[in-house]
Amino acid sequence: MTDPTRQLVRGTLHVLILRTLESDALHGYGIASRIEEATSGLVELEDGALYQALHRMEERGWVESAWGHAETGKRARFYRLTAEGRRRLKVETASWWEYVEAVQRVLRPDVR
Amino acid sequence: MSDAPGPRWPRGSGRRVLPDARRIRRDVEAEIEFHLGERIRELEALGHSPQESRAEALRRFGDLARTRAVCFESDYRIHRRKKRRELMAELVQDIRVAVRQLRRRPGFAAIAIITLALGIGANTAIFSAADHVLLRPLVNVDAERVVTLWESNPAVIDGLLEVAPGNFVEWERRAEAFTAMGLAEPYGFDLTGGDGPPAPATAWLVTAGFFDAAGVRPNPGRGFLAEEYTSGESVVVISHRLWQSRYDGDPALVGQAIELDGSEYVVVGVLPANLEYPAYRDVWAPKVYRPGEDQTRTSGYMVAVGRMRPGVEQADAQRDLDRVASAMAIDYPATNVGTGIRLMGIEEHVLGDVRTALLVLLGAVGLVLLVACANVASLMLARAMERERELGVRVALGAGRLRLLRQLGTESGTLAVLGGAAGLVVAWAGVRALVALSPTDLPRLAAIGMDGRIVAFAALITLVTALLFGLAPALHAMRAEIRQTLAATSHGSRGSRASGRFRSALVVGQIGLALILLIGAGLLGRSFLSLLDNELGFEVENRATVQVFLWDRHPTVAQRIQQAEQIAAAFSAVPGVEGVGFTSALPFHPTQIDAEAGFTIESRPPLADAQAPRAYTTIASTDYFDVMSIRLERGRLFTPADRLDAPRVAVINETLANRYFAGEDPVGERITVGAMDQPVTREIVGVVADVRPTAFDSDPRPELYVPFAQNGTGGITFVARTRTDAASFVPALRDQVQTLDPEQAIYHASTIEQLIGDTLVGRRFSLVLLGGLSVVGLLLAIVGIYGLMTFATSQRRAEIAVRMALGARGGDVTGMIVGQAMRLAVPGILIGVAGALYLTRFLQSMLYDVRPTDFATFAQIIALMALAATAAAWVPARRAARTDPMKVLRQD
Repeated sequence: MTDPTRQLVRGTLHVLILRTLESDALHGYGIASRIEEATSGLVELEDGALYQALHRMEERGWVESAWGHAETGKRARFYRLTAEGRRRLKVETASWWEYVEAVQRVLRPDVR
Repeated sequence: MSDAPGPRWPRGSGRRVLPDARRIRRDVEAEIEFHLGERIRELEALGHSPQESRAEALRRFGDLARTRAVCFESDYRIHRRKKRRELMAELVQDIRVAVRQLRRRPGFAAIAIITLALGIGANTAIFSAADHVLLRPLVNVDAERVVTLWESNPAVIDGLLEVAPGNFVEWERRAEAFTAMGLAEPYGFDLTGGDGPPAPATAWLVTAGFFDAAGVRPNPGRGFLAEEYTSGESVVVISHRLWQSRYDGDPALVGQAIELDGSEYVVVGVLPANLEYPAYRDVWAPKVYRPGEDQTRTSGYMVAVGRMRPGVEQADAQRDLDRVASAMAIDYPATNVGTGIRLMGIEEHVLGDVRTALLVLLGAVGLVLLVACANVASLMLARAMERERELGVRVALGAGRLRLLRQLGTESGTLAVLGGAAGLVVAWAGVRALVALSPTDLPRLAAIGMDGRIVAFAALITLVTALLFGLAPALHAMRAEIRQTLAATSHGSRGSRASGRFRSALVVGQIGLALILLIGAGLLGRSFLSLLDNELGFEVENRATVQVFLWDRHPTVAQRIQQAEQIAAAFSAVPGVEGVGFTSALPFHPTQIDAEAGFTIESRPPLADAQAPRAYTTIASTDYFDVMSIRLERGRLFTPADRLDAPRVAVINETLANRYFAGEDPVGERITVGAMDQPVTREIVGVVADVRPTAFDSDPRPELYVPFAQNGTGGITFVARTRTDAASFVPALRDQVQTLDPEQAIYHASTIEQLIGDTLVGRRFSLVLLGGLSVVGLLLAIVGIYGLMTFATSQRRAEIAVRMALGARGGDVTGMIVGQAMRLAVPGILIGVAGALYLTRFLQSMLYDVRPTDFATFAQIIALMALAATAAAWVPARRAARTDPMKVLRQD
């Protein structure tokens, strides 16, 4: 159904969520919107997968959640990074770049 | 604030009401609902229709059900983990608070912990022993079917008698209730042929049915073959213990020969380990009857065992045996009229007297536990009352009730755990002491250890007590009107007055229980003393003794006489030895060689055997009576002239003289007796004082002494009278025997004091334990009284101050407080006396010469208890009397 090129590289959802939450506490819809916005809609992620990831990350202690009011006044569940989450973001970001560089070296060996 | 957008993050350790599974499910649902709502709004804003928007939102969401499930599971795990962490944190905090509270009141904590430790410890120790000795079935023994068989002759003597082989042969032929019967003759072998002097080995010579009847099968190896019982072949079965200790468990030993008494015997089998019957024997050999032995029906010296047919009860078997006995009385009127057959279950035979003693101790321990529980309850109540105000304040300030209950529970629990741990130490020490104190023949001694179930049981009881009485006041404080609790002053609320009454009742109960224990111990103590008061008929101090068996190395009478006299002479030559005598049966000795048999008096018409006078025959040397200080009443003792070639003579004891020669002079009478010898006519030349034969409570029996020089028996116990402590001479006596004959085995090298001590171990065991338990009970009761009176005086502080301000003197106050204690002691003592009057009957079999309701004992113990109660109340009373009234009144 989904265009395969638009699918997320495996394992990158976590780092995207961590990055999105780095400066703000957001609810799930907010996170989804930010990612779409930032990728200009090029990456389309399944909303259900986002929520599953969020809850698993909470279980691992990377994010924590609390109920609050959204801008529209409705009750929503907000997420924010924990200290552990911030550490995780650094690690995952670093390993992403390593990955990118490795792929790049294969695809464009002329670029250093 | 709550209206502002954004979440409210939980702050610090602030408590939230935690959602349960339903709540979590709802939250997940709401979260997803919110998301879909926002998405639909966004799509509608882009101009899609509501239906299109909804469909697109759902499409973009993906697998809704799976997402729901995954989110729920994650959240639920988070929730559980969090809750667990919170509980742990609270528990740690509670324990920390509890420990702080206990450290603030070290006296209270110490008393509570000691009480718990004694309660749990004493119970665990005694119960462990009782459990191992009494409550577990015999190992390797079919207790349902194996019984021991005895003769009885109520007209002559109470109790069970050993079995004459001639009777057993008839039982075996006539009885129908048994599948197998066996007979065993106690015997001793010397283990020779090893390094060093020969070692004694206890043995049983057994008849063909014995192993079958006892239900033991040698492994490795076999029992005896039928022909081995008649051929007199030299074969033996040995105990597992001997196999291990002397032959290192060598599996090749079976079939090989070992040396016993200097001859070769082939080992055909080894009995299983841990055999509880037959126990304490190392060698078994086939019994071959000596000529005429299986016709002997009047002289019992053997042990019989039978195996009942399946389905036969002991009562049925006893009826069968009664029938056999009656038939034999008809067939053998001369010997068997009045001779009965008695059956005793194997368990009763093996466990014996220990049963009563341990059951009594078990009961006593139960009482101590009750006293301990009462103390704990009382302490916890008092503690909670003191804190009633504090609790009220905390409830008023909004402390969660559950949280408060848990806090108090943790305090009680911490106390109980500390007390339980100390209790384990006490129990461990108690078991060790028990083993050290117990009679050496206490069955299964080695098996006594601590049992987890028992520890758990005792711990549970005390823990429940602690929790129950720790929490009850907390519940009370919560139910009570907070305002009322806060308004109440230290004069005491209604609750504290009710609990005061309850504590009084507990103390009354404690006094009663402690009194029962003390009276029991008092009765045992009095029995012990009256036992020791018994005259023994011989001197105890400075007498050393050894036993030897000369039969094998000195087969003829002349040789044995010579050897025994040589040994006596060698002993006499030891510096410090003042006299040496010897006998076949030394009083209080574990191996006495004497025989009970009928005799005839020449000056009277002969009677049938069954009506004939009877006596125990003992062989004695010339100097024996002098060395033992057994008093000569009339006539003369043996002299060196009473030899084999001289007229046969005998000396009798007073009991025999009084029973059969009442009002006459027995000296000069001639009697014929066949025990320990061929029937021989002897002239009575003297009468000596009675001696107690086997124990302090064994009554003197008719005894007849025969001079060694006219008998030459082989089983001889020497006694040496020494100038100083006899124990230091024992090694020298051993050396003398070894010097004369290095191959001679020595048995029971000891002192008479030691032999006598050994017979008292059982009684001392019960006495020390019951005494110890009753002292524990008394101490706990004193602590109870002291605690209550201390609390009561602090509650009455203001009242006492007013009294003193109005002119009451210190003495009046002291009297008032002590009087208050007496009002508890009197009902307590009455309850205790009533309980003791009922319970002491169970001590009956352990008492000697004291009735279970002995007035003097009761009176003394009551006085002791009254004194203890007064003393316990005295300290707080004096303290109250010294208060400065003005200071107290100003304070309130």
